[in-house]
Amino acid sequence: MSTQLEVSAGPRGTAGAIAPGGGDEQPSRTIRAVNWITRHWGDRPLWMLIPAGVAIFVIVIVPVCLTIYLSLLNVNVSTLREWLGAPFYGIQNYVNAFTAPSTLGVSLGRSILISFMFSILTTVIITPIGMLAAFSVHRRFKGSGLARAIYLIPYVIPTFVTALMARIVFMNGTGLFDKALKFFHITNGQTYWLIGSNSYWAMQITEIWATWPFIYLMVLAGLQAIPKEHYEAAALDGATIRQRLRHIVIPELSGVLKLGMLLSTLFHFGNFTLAFVMFSSPPPAAVEVLPITAYYNAFDFFDFGVASAIAVVTMVILIIPGYIYLRSTRLAAQAG
Amino acid sequence: MTVASETPSNLINSVPPRPRRRRSSVGVGSADLLMPPWLSRIVLLLLVVAVIVPVGYMLLLSLTPNQNVVFGSISLAALEVRNYIDIWSQAPIAAGLIHTLIIAGSAATASVIVGLLAAYPLTRFTFAGRRPYLYTLIAVQTVPGTTLILPLFAVLSWIQTTLGVNFIGTYYPIIITYMTFGVPLSTWLLVAYMRTVPRDLDEAALVDGCSRLGALRRVIFPIALPAIVVAFVFAFLVGWNDVLFASVFTNSNNQTLAIALQRFASDTSTAALPLYGELMAAAVVSSVPVVALYLVFQRYLVHGLSAGSLTGM
Repeated sequence: MSTQLEVSAGPRGTAGAIAPGGGDEQPSRTIRAVNWITRHWGDRPLWMLIPAGVAIFVIVIVPVCLTIYLSLLNVNVSTLREWLGAPFYGIQNYVNAFTAPSTLGVSLGRSILISFMFSILTTVIITPIGMLAAFSVHRRFKGSGLARAIYLIPYVIPTFVTALMARIVFMNGTGLFDKALKFFHITNGQTYWLIGSNSYWAMQITEIWATWPFIYLMVLAGLQAIPKEHYEAAALDGATIRQRLRHIVIPELSGVLKLGMLLSTLFHFGNFTLAFVMFSSPPPAAVEVLPITAYYNAFDFFDFGVASAIAVVTMVILIIPGYIYLRSTRLAAQAG
Repeated sequence: MTVASETPSNLINSVPPRPRRRRSSVGVGSADLLMPPWLSRIVLLLLVVAVIVPVGYMLLLSLTPNQNVVFGSISLAALEVRNYIDIWSQAPIAAGLIHTLIIAGSAATASVIVGLLAAYPLTRFTFAGRRPYLYTLIAVQTVPGTTLILPLFAVLSWIQTTLGVNFIGTYYPIIITYMTFGVPLSTWLLVAYMRTVPRDLDEAALVDGCSRLGALRRVIFPIALPAIVVAFVFAFLVGWNDVLFASVFTNSNNQTLAIALQRFASDTSTAALPLYGELMAAAVVSSVPVVALYLVFQRYLVHGLSAGSLTGM
């Protein structure tokens, strides 16, 4: 495949270039610009990159810069409409976010902890589940197609539907979860799962239920990329299942697993929908993940300064895994 | 790290040529067995039960009268489809459905057009700035949603104050924000696909007198159609599933299905008789199209996952 890709489009660009003005006279600015464009673009329609570039610039890059700017201003309910003229606040928003518990009862530090715990715990638990799931269906058998389809269901149900479902399943007393716990004599079936500190675990269980197929899909794709010959060679050498896993499958999967775990951590860090829909509004303090804290500071209390500070902190935390992700794709390099 | 860096491209390359099926593994026998069959069956059984029970419970409740749900007297004997009829009059889901179709559909269409335009030069030419461009497309997907929504809201309220134009409650801001996810997603999907389309094809079209755009329209577009459909579906589902942006940028004039349901849930939970049966019916109605779409496009799912669907949703 790479042979097709390596075909160089290099010399074409120069063909149509307007020759630089002869003699000593300097070409005008316009001509130089046209020259530059034709020399570099040739008949290649590179203008086609502009719409996506502009879209990304206007709806991602500009807002990110504005968020950083907003986080340095004292923007509250009275100054929001003329926030450009809001008083400069320095790092006061950050200090406030970290020290004063927000109006929801959670400081930024605590919110960061909740987000970290939520995303790491989810990833740690769904990884083995997803691997086992992939191992269980990677060989075709009668009904494997059905099993694969069923495995996908929790992941493809919209998150807001999962959250609504969890809201009913975790209802105190009458919900399925409490009934099951009572049936197995684990509790008396009267636990309040949607308020107080239990709410974290209700959310955690729901997230695990909804997202293990992500790892499953990644691992399944990884398994399909392992050449059959490797298994055959191992079989000829009389390898046991354990040896096969250890020497062929796990090494071959390590890349896909790392990527899956990284993406999962990134993804769960920013989960807003589940906490927002599953609980009453505002959600209990135990489930105040970073996006929720930022959201309620902004849209319930209209303290955009503090909310922006929280958003900036979130972004800074995500820069490291984001950078690793970027490095690991290396896709642009491959394509070129 | 070397292994890790090979992976995504494997996933990406696997889009158009279907992932190799293992059906022909007759010669391999049980060489690719990864678990003892008994363990495999236990895992299968546990997972299928874990998936089916809550989903089945939701389906069951959606067919149970509201008061039975509230009092926890759920039985297979008292099932009725009334909830599925009542939701259309009692929950605002009909309007929500139309708004979602308009918003998610426009955002997906715009994203695919923009993505197709960008993917063509990205796969056909090498030029300065190509790699930064591609990297930026990945990087923007790691930007958390709250970082985008706060300034966008602030700018919109500033526009409302100074220019007197109110965008909240119109379709524009929400469609544009969904493009935040749709554009990188569809660009990546299309780049991955168009890399596998030989350049000879458009060279041939050029030799035959096509313009670049003509080559794109007459040659590349028909070939890339499957990838375009997939990109459209994934970009559409972003809009269908979103709650964060819709909860800020829509009001009762144009609220999406997700928001309509979220409001219905919080309203009804404080009512004297919460309409939980209807809530579950509405939840089923809003997931059926999505689940169907995903199952149809199952084999592209892995790619959709690695190409996007990341940004704080």
